[in-house]
Amino acid sequence: MMFPEKMIVLDQANHDEAADNGHPFPVASASVIANDAVDMEVLNAFEELQRDDGSDLIVELIDLYLLDAAERVSQIREASIATEWVLLKRAAHNLKGSSGNLGVRQVAEICQKLEWVDRHDSPTAVAALIQLLEYESAMASSSLLALRQRRLG
Amino acid sequence: MENFRMKLKEEPPRRVLVADDDPVMRHLVTTTLKQQECEVVAANDGREAYRILQTDSQFRAAILDMTMPFLEGLDLVRYMRSERRLMRIPIMMISAEQDMKLMTSSFSAGAAAFLSKPFTPDQLQSAIRMLLGSGSSIRRAA
Repeated sequence: MMFPEKMIVLDQANHDEAADNGHPFPVASASVIANDAVDMEVLNAFEELQRDDGSDLIVELIDLYLLDAAERVSQIREASIATEWVLLKRAAHNLKGSSGNLGVRQVAEICQKLEWVDRHDSPTAVAALIQLLEYESAMASSSLLALRQRRLG
Repeated sequence: MENFRMKLKEEPPRRVLVADDDPVMRHLVTTTLKQQECEVVAANDGREAYRILQTDSQFRAAILDMTMPFLEGLDLVRYMRSERRLMRIPIMMISAEQDMKLMTSSFSAGAAAFLSKPFTPDQLQSAIRMLLGSGSSIRRAA
């Protein structure tokens, strides 16, 4: 056998202003910095992976996440309208993964519920869940953008 | 000392294949690998990884997402284990599922490690260190 033993199992469990900064997202105002959509402790843990080249990994992760999350939420919405459950679940699964890892917990939790959706669920319930996802995603984006702004000074 | 330096210079780069359709995770894993002085070859999905593997087998390790478009991570593991030139490359699977069955399937297919999301930077760093270490012991045993 190529692998005589299993090595490891790790289980644990805004526009104008933004455009000025070259960023495609709305910049959050100070009033929305404080919401619990993002667990900043989780996000700040990535400080230890910072490089010495002057770049900011956390800002990079935020930028990637915001772009990807917006696309996934849109895919989820479109898939629900088309009752394409496989596509909906796949998009929800992907968004759950990155959201959980960056401390965007509410979004991750809603995505988990969306992964369980199937043709037997009432369209109204699914639509409500997606509406909640859009709301939580917007809240998380505001928090992340505020953090991004602070980090860029 | 000079001999030691020469040996260090001769050490080939630790190339690692990373396949994940999630840009956040891909960037995170790539950054961590580069910190550990690895050279990263990144693929945006399973099909791209498969194409890379068809012509390139010089990898110290592979880190594959379980759920990817076109070709799932598990299918890639099976492919790698069926090819003589790829079968010694240690593989770590990453998944957003904390499902024992999935974990078992990964190991049965030939993965050496399984990391479930969410994970902390420490956990990712440790898992990568162990993965790269397991590659050395496999080569020594061979």
